[in-house]
Amino acid sequence: MADDGQESEVFEITDFTTASDWERFIARLEEVMHDWKLPTLKRNPPVKKGEYTIGSWKEKSANVRYANFTFTITEYKLKQEYNEKDLTLDDEESEDILPEAVEDLMMMENDFPPRAHCLCRWFGLRHFLVLSPAAHSDAVISESRIRILQSSVSIAISNTSCQIPVFVQVQQKWRRMYVGQCEGPGMRTSFDMVHLKKIPHQFNHLAGLLGVFKSKISTPVSSPPPVSVAVRFTYILQDWTNYSWPQLPPDFDAPSGSEVGNSGFGKLPFGAVEDPVSELHLATTWPSLSEDMIVDNDVYSDLDPIQAPQWSVRIRMMEKPQCLLGEYLGDFGKLCKRSESVEQLLGRSFYQDDSDTADISQALQRLTEPVPMHIPTLSSVVTRARTRMHHKKQMEEEPIPGDILNEILQFLFPDAGLIACIRRWSCCIFLLPLTLLQSGAPCLGSCLLHQKLQMLNCCIARKIARENTSMSQSSSAVSLGTNIQPSLSSNSFLPASLSQASFGGSDRGSLASSPSNKDEDEDDDEFFECDEDPEEGENEKVGEEELAAAGNSQDVEMEDVEEKDKIERTEKEEKEKPEKTSDDSSPDEIAFRDTVVYQPEGRLRQCGDLTLICNDDELLYIPITQDPAPMTEDQLEEHATVLAELGTSEEGAELRARMQSACLLSDMEAFKAANPGCMLEDFVRWYSPRDYIEDDDSCNTPHPDMNEEDRDRMKKGKLSSRMMIPGNMWQEVWSQAKPVPARRQKRLFDDTKEAEKVLHYLASLKPAEVALHLMPMLIHAAIIRIQHIEIEGLPSLTSLMTQITQRASKLTRMGSTDIKKYEEVIKQIELAEVVIARAQSLRAKFSQQVLEDDDKQTELEKFVSSLLEQPEVSVLGAGRGPAGTILHRLFAAAQRSANMLPSEEELLADDDVVDHASQSSSVSVKDFPRPAGKEFILRTRVQRPTSYSRALPQRLFCVLMNNDFRLAGAFSEDTTFF
Amino acid sequence: MRHEGVVQMASAADNKWQKDAADQNFDYMFKLLIIGNSSVGKTSFLFRYADDSFTSAFVSTVGIDFKVKTVFRNDKRVKLQIWDTAGQERYRTITTAYYRGAMGFILMYDVTNEESFQAVQDWSTQIKTYSWDNAQVILVGNKCDMEDERVVSVDRGKQLSDQLGLEFFETSAKENINVKQTFERLVDIICDKMSESLDSDPTIVSNSQTGRKLTQEPQPSNSGCAC
Repeated sequence: MADDGQESEVFEITDFTTASDWERFIARLEEVMHDWKLPTLKRNPPVKKGEYTIGSWKEKSANVRYANFTFTITEYKLKQEYNEKDLTLDDEESEDILPEAVEDLMMMENDFPPRAHCLCRWFGLRHFLVLSPAAHSDAVISESRIRILQSSVSIAISNTSCQIPVFVQVQQKWRRMYVGQCEGPGMRTSFDMVHLKKIPHQFNHLAGLLGVFKSKISTPVSSPPPVSVAVRFTYILQDWTNYSWPQLPPDFDAPSGSEVGNSGFGKLPFGAVEDPVSELHLATTWPSLSEDMIVDNDVYSDLDPIQAPQWSVRIRMMEKPQCLLGEYLGDFGKLCKRSESVEQLLGRSFYQDDSDTADISQALQRLTEPVPMHIPTLSSVVTRARTRMHHKKQMEEEPIPGDILNEILQFLFPDAGLIACIRRWSCCIFLLPLTLLQSGAPCLGSCLLHQKLQMLNCCIARKIARENTSMSQSSSAVSLGTNIQPSLSSNSFLPASLSQASFGGSDRGSLASSPSNKDEDEDDDEFFECDEDPEEGENEKVGEEELAAAGNSQDVEMEDVEEKDKIERTEKEEKEKPEKTSDDSSPDEIAFRDTVVYQPEGRLRQCGDLTLICNDDELLYIPITQDPAPMTEDQLEEHATVLAELGTSEEGAELRARMQSACLLSDMEAFKAANPGCMLEDFVRWYSPRDYIEDDDSCNTPHPDMNEEDRDRMKKGKLSSRMMIPGNMWQEVWSQAKPVPARRQKRLFDDTKEAEKVLHYLASLKPAEVALHLMPMLIHAAIIRIQHIEIEGLPSLTSLMTQITQRASKLTRMGSTDIKKYEEVIKQIELAEVVIARAQSLRAKFSQQVLEDDDKQTELEKFVSSLLEQPEVSVLGAGRGPAGTILHRLFAAAQRSANMLPSEEELLADDDVVDHASQSSSVSVKDFPRPAGKEFILRTRVQRPTSYSRALPQRLFCVLMNNDFRLAGAFSEDTTFF
Repeated sequence: MRHEGVVQMASAADNKWQKDAADQNFDYMFKLLIIGNSSVGKTSFLFRYADDSFTSAFVSTVGIDFKVKTVFRNDKRVKLQIWDTAGQERYRTITTAYYRGAMGFILMYDVTNEESFQAVQDWSTQIKTYSWDNAQVILVGNKCDMEDERVVSVDRGKQLSDQLGLEFFETSAKENINVKQTFERLVDIICDKMSESLDSDPTIVSNSQTGRKLTQEPQPSNSGCAC
C-alpha cells in the first residue's frame, strides 16, 4: 500500500515517554487504531441493498484516558460476506481513490435502514469509530474541550493515515450529537450536526433544507449539478376505528367455545385481554428525486403519500399486553412460593373435626367407604370428570392423562383463595385415586404426585386381590362386581383395577387368580395385628433378610385366623427341616427330601414339556410368583442410592446382590412348592435357560456327592459353569429356599405399609409443594393449549415452541423442584402467547376486507406474516397493492373518525376506493394525517473549496419530527487544491 | 445436576465403601446401562473395562449391579456410573425401572447365540419405551473371539444396527477387543448430544463456569496469545 512507508515511520516516531496528558491521549488513540489494524484495512465491495439491516454489526471497544477523564472508543463495523472475486482489483492505488466512508455517503442502496446505529442511518456509513465519555452521565459540552478532542483525533488519524471516519460524541448523550472527520488522500470530510427541539418554520420543507445545504456547501462553481433527494414520510396509525380486539375479559360463568379466552372447565384460559398491537407506522419513500423535479415548500407539496413509489410498514407492539394464560401460570407460580402448611392456613380445627383423617391408619378404610362430602360441589365435579372420562376414553398421545389433570387443576385452582384450594385438595386426594387414575404400577413418565396416587391405587388393588384369594378356598367365586361394590363409592374403579390384566401383567400369573366374596370390615380388624415375632425369632439370617426386604415390611399379615394358624404350623415345620439337614447336606438332597413331605402347591402352568431331571414322570411347572414391588420415582431413586452407596468393592457387590435376592428367593420357594423333588437345574431351566447346557456327552461331571440314580439322569445336561461356582448366590439362595407357594410367602410388596407411606407423603405436603408438583402438568397442559391454536406461517413461534417443549421436558423429567426454572419456562410460554396474540390481532385487522382475488389474498397473508417476523416490511405495489389499499382505508377511516366525519361505508358504496379517496379527501379531509416524521437525504458531488478543486461527495440528512429537528451534514473538501 | 447430588450425598454418607475419596471430584456424571439377554457377557464386559480383568465365569447377576470409571474428556472429569443388569426375563420389570435417567445404553448380544441376537429388537423397543428420549445406544456383539461357534455374522450385526440407527461394535471381553472403544464412543456421542442441547439452550450453560463445550478442543496451555 501507499501508506506502508508512512506507517513504519509512524512506529518510529511513536514516543511512549510523551510528556503531557494531551500527547499521551493522542498516542493512545493511535495505539488503539494500530491494534485494530485500521490503517491497513482492505477495501470491501460496495454494500448490497438492505445489508445494513440484515447483516450483522461488529462492535469493539477500548478505553482511552485524557488526564483523569476516561473515554471509550468504539469501532462499529458491518460484517460483510462476499467472495474474493467480488472485489474489484484496482491495485493502482491512485491518489484519487476516495476513502470507503466518503463513497458510502453517496450510496443509495441503504437509505433509511429500519434498524441501524444512528450514525449509520444519518451518514450511510458501514464502518466508523466513536469516541465518547465512558461514564454515561459524563458529557463534553464546552467548546474548547470539543476543539481539543477534534484536534487530537485529527492528529491521530493523520499520523496513522486511518481512513475510517472518527466521531466525537458531544453534549449530553441522549442528544446523540456527534462531530467527526475523515481524511483521505488529498481530501477531508467533516461531519457536523444541528439538533433543535422545535422545527424552524423556514426549514419545515424541502425547499428550505435545500437552501441550508447549498449555503453550507457554498461552492464557487457557477452552475452546480442538481442535488439528488431521497425523501421518507412516516405516518402513524393508532386508531383502529372499525376494528375491536376480540378478547373478552375472563368470564368463568359462561361456557364458551371460542378460540381465545376461557373455554370451559377442561381448558386453560388463553389469549391477550387487550390488543397487543399498538401502532402501525407507514413509511412512504421517494428513493431518488432530483431537486428540480419536485416542489415541496410551505404552500404546496408534490409529496403525496399515495403516489410514493415505496411503502413500508412497521408495527409497534404493546410492551407487555395482559395475557390470560401467562397470568394464570404466573399466579400458579406464586402459589408454589408460599411457605405455609395446611395447618397454618386452615387451623387445627380442620383436622379435629375430621377425626378419621387425623388417624392416617384409618385412611385406607375410609377409601373404601362412601366419603362424606365437605364441599357440596365436589361430588358434582368428580362425577362430571368421570363422565368425561367415559366419553373420552384415553388420550393416547399424552403420557399424562392431561385432560383429567387439567380438570383437577381448573377445579382446584380457578382463582379462589388458597384456603379454599387446600380444603378441596384435602378432600380430593381421597377420591381421585379411585375414580380417575389408570391402574397398574406407577407410570414413571408421569409426575410424582400422579405416581403416588397410582401407588395408592395399586395398594388398594393388591389388598383387595389378596383378600379375595385368601377366601377363595372357603367360598365359591362370586361375580366380581357384586363383591366389592357395596364398599366403594364408584363403579368405575372396578373394571379398571380388578381386571386380570392389572395383576397378570407378567405371564407368570398373579395372586388374584380366583376372586371371591369377602366382608371387608371383618378383616380390617386384623389388618394391623400381624405378628412378626414367630418368624424373626429363630432365623439366623434375620439381618440379611431384613436388608433383602429393604423397602418392604417385615410384618406378615394374615387375613383369616384359620389360615394364620395353618401357616404358623407350616412355617415351624419348614424351619425345622432345613436346620436338621443344612449342615451336612447339599441343596439337592433337601430338594429330594422335600418330595417326600410336600404336595405340589401354587402351580401356574406347565413349563413346555419339560420334566424334572430327577424324575422323568413329573412335569415341570411354572409356579405362581409374586409380582415385583412397584416403586415410585423417588423410591426408585432412593433404592438406587442405597445400592450405589455400597460402592464398587467386591463386598459391596455381594451385599447388593443379597439385597436384591428377595425376589429370587421368593421365586425359588414358589418353584419348589410347585415342583416337589426339583433341583436347581430344574429351576434354572425355567428361570435362566441358557444356564442349563443340554449335553449328550457322557463325560460331563455331575456333582460328586450325588447318588447313582441322579448321576444317570444328569446325563441330559448340566448347569453352566457360572452356576456351579461354589457358594454362588444362586446356589446359596436355593439352599435356603423352602417350598412355600407365593400366597403363603412373606409379601415382597407390603401394600398396607406402602399405602401408609403414600398417605403420609400426601398429608405432609404443603400447599405450595402440591402446586409445585402440579407444575409439570400445568406446563404440559399450557403447551398443548398453545399447540391447539392453529396458527401458521410463524417460523419464530415454531422455533420458540420447540425450545419451550425441549426445556420443559428436560425440566420436568429431572423432577425439578426449582420454581425459578419453571418460571423461566413460564416466561417463554407467555412470550409465545403474546406472539400468537399479535398474529391474531394483525390478521384480524388486515383480513377485515376480504379481497376477491385469491392471489391478492395470499399476498396479503404473506405480508401480515412478515410483519410479525421482520422489523420493517415493504408493501408490494406501494399504495396500489392489496395491502396498500387496506392500509389506505385504515388511515382514511382513522382520519374520518378523528374529524368526526361519517365513515367510509356511509359515504360510498363500492366505488374504487383509491381514486375516490384522493378526490374526496381534497373536499373534506385528507386520507392521511400530517406525517409524524419527515426525513430527507440531500446529496451532491461538487468542487470545494475552489472551482479547481476535485468534485467531492456532500451530504445532508434531515429529520423533522414533532419535538426533534436534526440536520446531520457531511461536507468534503479538497486539501490539495484550495 | 441432580445425579451428581445424589452420588455426592451417597459418598459423604458412607465413605468406607468409597475406594478413593477423590471419586466425587468430577465435572460430569454419566449414567450408563448394559442390557441384553442372559449370559451374553455383560458382566465380563464391564469387568474388562472397569477393572481390566477377565474370568470365564462371573456369577449370574442378581437384579442390578454397578461399577464406576472416570474418564477425561477435554480436561473434564467424566465419571461413568455403569449399571450392569440381569438379563433373565424375570428381571425385566426391575431393570427397566432403571432405564430412566440413563444417558447411554450398551445393548449386547452374543455372536455365538442366535436367540440373543433375535432379542435385540425387543431390547431396543424397551429402551424406547422406558428411557429418556435423548439416551444414546450402541449395539455390541460380544464374544467375537469365539469364531468357531459364531452363528451371527458381522454383516448381520451391522445390518441390524443400521436398521435400528445405532452404532455397532463387535467385541470380546475375553480378548479385550473393542471394549474400551465401545465405552469411549458412547461417551463421545453423549458429549456431542449434550453440546447440541447446550447450543440450543443457552441457559443450561450456567452450570459450568466456563460454558465451554465438551466437544471443543482444549486450548493449548502454551498458547502464545497475550490477550
